[in-house]
Amino acid sequence: MRFLHGGSLTVRTAIASLALVVVVVAVAVGLLTAVFAARTAAHKEVQAQDLTSATLDVQGLVVDLETGLRGLALTGDMRFLKPWANAKAALPAKLAAFERLADAVPGERGQAQTIASLIDSYIDEYSVPLVRSAREVPAAAATPVATAEGRRRIDEIRSHFVRILAQEQQRADEASATADKDSRRAVAVAIAGLVALAAIVILFGLYVARSIARPVRQVADEAQRLAAGDEVSDLRERGSGEVADLTRAFNTMARQLAARQAELEEQNRQLRDSEHAKSELVSIVSHELRTPLTSMLGFTSLLARGDQDEEAQQRYLEIIAGQGQRLATLLDDFLSVQQLEEGRLDLRSDRFDLAALLRQQTELYSAHSEEHEVLLDLEQRTLSVVGDEGRLAQVIGNLLSNAIKYSPEGGRVTVTGLREGDRAIVRVHDEGIGIPDEEQGRVFTKFFRGDAAARGIAGSGLGLAFARAVVEAHGGSIGFTSVEGQGTTFAVELPAAGQAQSSVAQNAERSSA
Amino acid sequence: MVCSEDRGRETGRKRGQVGSTPRSNAPTILVCDDEDSLRELIRAVLGDGYAYLEARDGDEALEILASTLPDVVILDLMLPRTSGTEVLAAIRTDPRLAGLQVVVVSAWSHLEREALAAGADRFVPKPFEPDDLIAVVDELVRARAG
Repeated sequence: MRFLHGGSLTVRTAIASLALVVVVVAVAVGLLTAVFAARTAAHKEVQAQDLTSATLDVQGLVVDLETGLRGLALTGDMRFLKPWANAKAALPAKLAAFERLADAVPGERGQAQTIASLIDSYIDEYSVPLVRSAREVPAAAATPVATAEGRRRIDEIRSHFVRILAQEQQRADEASATADKDSRRAVAVAIAGLVALAAIVILFGLYVARSIARPVRQVADEAQRLAAGDEVSDLRERGSGEVADLTRAFNTMARQLAARQAELEEQNRQLRDSEHAKSELVSIVSHELRTPLTSMLGFTSLLARGDQDEEAQQRYLEIIAGQGQRLATLLDDFLSVQQLEEGRLDLRSDRFDLAALLRQQTELYSAHSEEHEVLLDLEQRTLSVVGDEGRLAQVIGNLLSNAIKYSPEGGRVTVTGLREGDRAIVRVHDEGIGIPDEEQGRVFTKFFRGDAAARGIAGSGLGLAFARAVVEAHGGSIGFTSVEGQGTTFAVELPAAGQAQSSVAQNAERSSA
Repeated sequence: MVCSEDRGRETGRKRGQVGSTPRSNAPTILVCDDEDSLRELIRAVLGDGYAYLEARDGDEALEILASTLPDVVILDLMLPRTSGTEVLAAIRTDPRLAGLQVVVVSAWSHLEREALAAGADRFVPKPFEPDDLIAVVDELVRARAG
């Protein structure tokens, strides 16, 4: 049964069917052989019985011959010769039948011929001459010589009869025994065959149930659970060949379905996030627009009354201009991110000193807040990169502005600039509130602000989206590490000069295309 | 913290009375907004008939309230650190500040009902008409005096 543990179901079914056929054929052959043997034996027995019967017929006629002759010899009366004459007349046919039957039995042919010739000779050479002479001289039949001669011949014939009858009896007995034996054998073969067939059918049934029906049932059950939307775990691969294939295919399908579902759910979540972000944006934008608008409208109303001195008027106009500028910058930011994301923003590709940019931005932001200490740590005096200086200044500005905004308790903000191999690296580290784990995956999402709005931290949710778009357009990358309550470090990696040129040029080409 | 009773003189002008200084018994208004220009606007609109205290965030506002009791608080909701909502809640749970008049001024106009429910006496949406703010503050100051 070793071969049943490998190979495909088709092969196994074929093998099992073949085994079934072999057993059926073997049983049939055995049964037929036994039946034929029994039939042959029965035929032999019949043959022996027929030959015995023919022998007895002939023997009876011979007895009649002898009786007739003896009657004639005792009485001299020709009337007593009647049985002899009848027997003599019947003999040729009976003898022929006897000889024909004996012909079919190999051992008896000679014996039969001997008997026939002895009888012929008894009739022709003894009894006919005796009868003829008795017709002339009735006493001739009763001479001792003739009588002895007749007894001798008859005894000889009888001895042959005894022998042939004994032989045929034995043959009939043997044939009968053989027929019995063969019949019993046929019955045994039939029973054995039936048992073997039943065993094979049962074994095959068990095999089918175990290695086909059960795994298929299992797959069907799981498929039903899957259809009902339940979560399914991988099925153990039971059975082999096609059944194992089915289980494997089902597992693959279930896994892919789960993956597809997860993907859809993720897309759904992103869509919801983006929808939420959009509606949040409307609020934020309206707030961000309202604040400068409030200033501008308020001071304009005051100016319209015209009851201020010139100094105040000048001051109000400056505020109005400043707030107008702020609105313009806000709109610019929106547009920049939009264009960057659509690949439509053309970036400059100049060689400039990133270290100088960091010094300038650090200075700008240390003046920004009294409660924050903004430190700059530069490894080298210059840090040459190729790119859009203005946009990168905005990026660093955004990171610094965030570092300050998200450190509401004040504290130290450290900017580090260094070169690592062919990369220029800028890190902006703060000791602020950090980014909650659940928000870390989304900080670069446009308009995503987490719970910053609830904390009253102003912003459009565009700063980091803008930063990432600009840095990536330069062939760089941006990332961060953050521990909630302890602070955040943003790291910007840019190709150092000599390497950045090509990628920015390519990007510019792509953007303008 | 910017406590600028004096700075009111630089830019704020009493309506129609250019250059006058606030009376020593003038009502005190705490202006709490993180936008410098808006604090300045509010002072300019209300003029120098009042004495002003200024806070740039919720913490500063609470700090001032711990030592001083103004007549009116003008409170923005979206403030760094402690938010305006939290400040409002703190005011309404402190027995010492009971009866303090609070005007919430916010760009989040949809928060009006919540602000009033949280204990604000008035809600003024941004952007506001100078006359509206003046009317509201005058009314509250009179109510307090009366």
